[in-house]
Amino acid sequence: MSSSSDEDESYKMYKDRPEWNDVKSVPQDDGPAPVVQIAYSEKFKDVFDYFRAVMAMNEKSERALELTGSAIELNPANYTVWHYRREVLKALKKDIAVEMKFLSQIIMEQQKNYQVWHHRRALVEWSQDFSEELDFTADIISRDQKNYHAWQHRQWVIQEFEQWDGELDFIDKLLEQDVRNNSAWNERYFVIEHTTGFTDEVVEREIEYAIKKINLATKNESAWSYLRGVLQDKGLTWSKSLCDQIHSWRGEGLRSPHLAAFLLDMFDEDLEKKKCDVNKTMDKVRSLCKELAEDTDTVRRKYWNFVLQRMTKEYEVK
Amino acid sequence: MDSSTSFERKKHIRFFSRILQILPHRYSILDTSRLTITFFALSGLDVLNALDHLSEKNKQEIIEWIYSLQVIPNEAESNTCKCGFRGSTCNGVTTPQYAKAMESTNEYDSSHIAMTYTGLASLLILSDDLQRVNKKACLEGIRALQLPDGSFKSTYDGSENDMRFIYCACCVSAILNDFSAIDTAQATSFIRKSLCYDGAFGQGPGLESHGGSTFCAFASLKLMKTLNSALSKQQLKWLEYWCVSRQKMGFHGRPHKDDDTCYSFWVGATLKLLGVFELIDFKENEEFVLSTQDNIVGGFAKWPQIHPDALHSYMGVCGLSLMGLHNLQPIDPALNVTQRVRTHMEELHAKWAAAETRKLQTTSMDRSRTKSSTIDRTHTGTVVLAFVIGLGAVVVPWIYKVYFRHAT
Repeated sequence: MSSSSDEDESYKMYKDRPEWNDVKSVPQDDGPAPVVQIAYSEKFKDVFDYFRAVMAMNEKSERALELTGSAIELNPANYTVWHYRREVLKALKKDIAVEMKFLSQIIMEQQKNYQVWHHRRALVEWSQDFSEELDFTADIISRDQKNYHAWQHRQWVIQEFEQWDGELDFIDKLLEQDVRNNSAWNERYFVIEHTTGFTDEVVEREIEYAIKKINLATKNESAWSYLRGVLQDKGLTWSKSLCDQIHSWRGEGLRSPHLAAFLLDMFDEDLEKKKCDVNKTMDKVRSLCKELAEDTDTVRRKYWNFVLQRMTKEYEVK
Repeated sequence: MDSSTSFERKKHIRFFSRILQILPHRYSILDTSRLTITFFALSGLDVLNALDHLSEKNKQEIIEWIYSLQVIPNEAESNTCKCGFRGSTCNGVTTPQYAKAMESTNEYDSSHIAMTYTGLASLLILSDDLQRVNKKACLEGIRALQLPDGSFKSTYDGSENDMRFIYCACCVSAILNDFSAIDTAQATSFIRKSLCYDGAFGQGPGLESHGGSTFCAFASLKLMKTLNSALSKQQLKWLEYWCVSRQKMGFHGRPHKDDDTCYSFWVGATLKLLGVFELIDFKENEEFVLSTQDNIVGGFAKWPQIHPDALHSYMGVCGLSLMGLHNLQPIDPALNVTQRVRTHMEELHAKWAAAETRKLQTTSMDRSRTKSSTIDRTHTGTVVLAFVIGLGAVVVPWIYKVYFRHAT
């Protein structure tokens, strides 16, 4: 179905269709002084005058189905139309595969609309046929790498139908295309969380993975967040190989603000656990905060000064 | 579109005023959410301190239109699960003025949780006292939308469920001063489960953290007063860091996405609620928001050089208000209304509480008055009976003497 065209000569208003003669259309009653009025087109008014009538009669027929199609074309965000359409589909026992084809075309045109994705989920729940879902969401993601709806639907399918195999490969390919794709990083965490879990072995493996990716783009916030994320239960100083890598990067003169922030948090951990010389560590903390505030992350200078104040208050020996 | 850095207050006022009147037909996709657009325009004018640009007649008309969108119980009260507010009359139902119950109900007539929130907020902005809101039914409508996992869907007939609607439920409860319709423990649990590995909140468990859902999550915890049980000190620190990291010039919603005006509010307000908003770069933020200003028709867009819309215009104005700039009215970051509206709401709460207390006192006084009047009546009755008996003891012999003794 192509997008709505008022200029389409074959289109007939519902009021001019003889098969609808028996129905009295219901105009909208917006009251004497409506607010945020919309200058609906004649076509729009006609379709929705008939939709209101059909809903009031609770008619669940083929012509009602066609009417919901016209309504959706004009306003795909009208959730009541979608709900009514689902009722009609059920009443007429329509072929879900056919409906899915209709829906897929609409989603292509309306990729960020909540209602179309909810309808898709409803159809998959109804049919229990998820066979097209991974390909479909992959297609949408290829057009818009960060489409939240597509990722959400994909996660639901994977979790609901236990389709974990192959997802890490899918993520790898996306990260090869764009190592800064935060949605892909999030998906990686999601898959591991629900499959192997973050065992010591898995955490070491993921640390290595993140390090490789950081080496490709040292100021990639997503990779650094992922690193913190996989270590959130174990602590940032848990892995010796990571600690070595962090210090090695600093030694090479790597000026990534995320590296400095990570190191700061490692010092915070050491200070909290009383695993270090307070004065020496606070000197390093001061120097890092200064570097961030004055040089590498100046838009957050007030924040870094605040962090310094907070750590000084918490740890500095009086 | 040039990037003038002066704030075009008059043009924004005209922009919001025009929206309240009519939108061109390309906005037909907003047909079911006209009430949220109304809220953006009204609250926008309020933040601009320009509500007086609406006449009293106009304000009253808007109030009437909003009340015509209230989904109220039918006579059998069988539809309370659908009560609240509709977004518009597009589904063919208009609630008659001052109706207390609907004579008949359309099976498909149902509230939408975001419309209930923005409907109530809009009424407050117009200084309405919510007397005509069926609070009990509204809350039943909210209760019916909570799912077992603690999140909310938006309409009774079914929709997606996510963090946005938890926030709407919390705002409705805050406005009506009644959290009994929400299972706050379950809602808090859903929010906690939606905390992403990077320290902020997604729309649901496992989903990518996002500025909008982070605001909805954090503001909900604040409104439900469950923040202390939900997040540890360490988690709060990570959340602060994630939020301040969203600033490039303005703010964006996810790492490596472009800055977008509305996040100056979503992320800005979260930082305000965290108590660390002062740590952002005000100048860069202001410059970005103003770069998205439409210097001809007023309003703000998500990015520079594109058309303004109601949501981004409102969020732009709020983003600037958070920084205390351009004589804008201060806003309450949790409820997303001006402080003035928050104060009005709290005054209503005090009135309702006082009325409730008076009602309870009157009820208990009535009860004791009924008890004592029963005693009085009994007491009086006894006296009368005693009098009658006494009188009889005197009168009967006299009657006998007068009428019967002389007859013989």
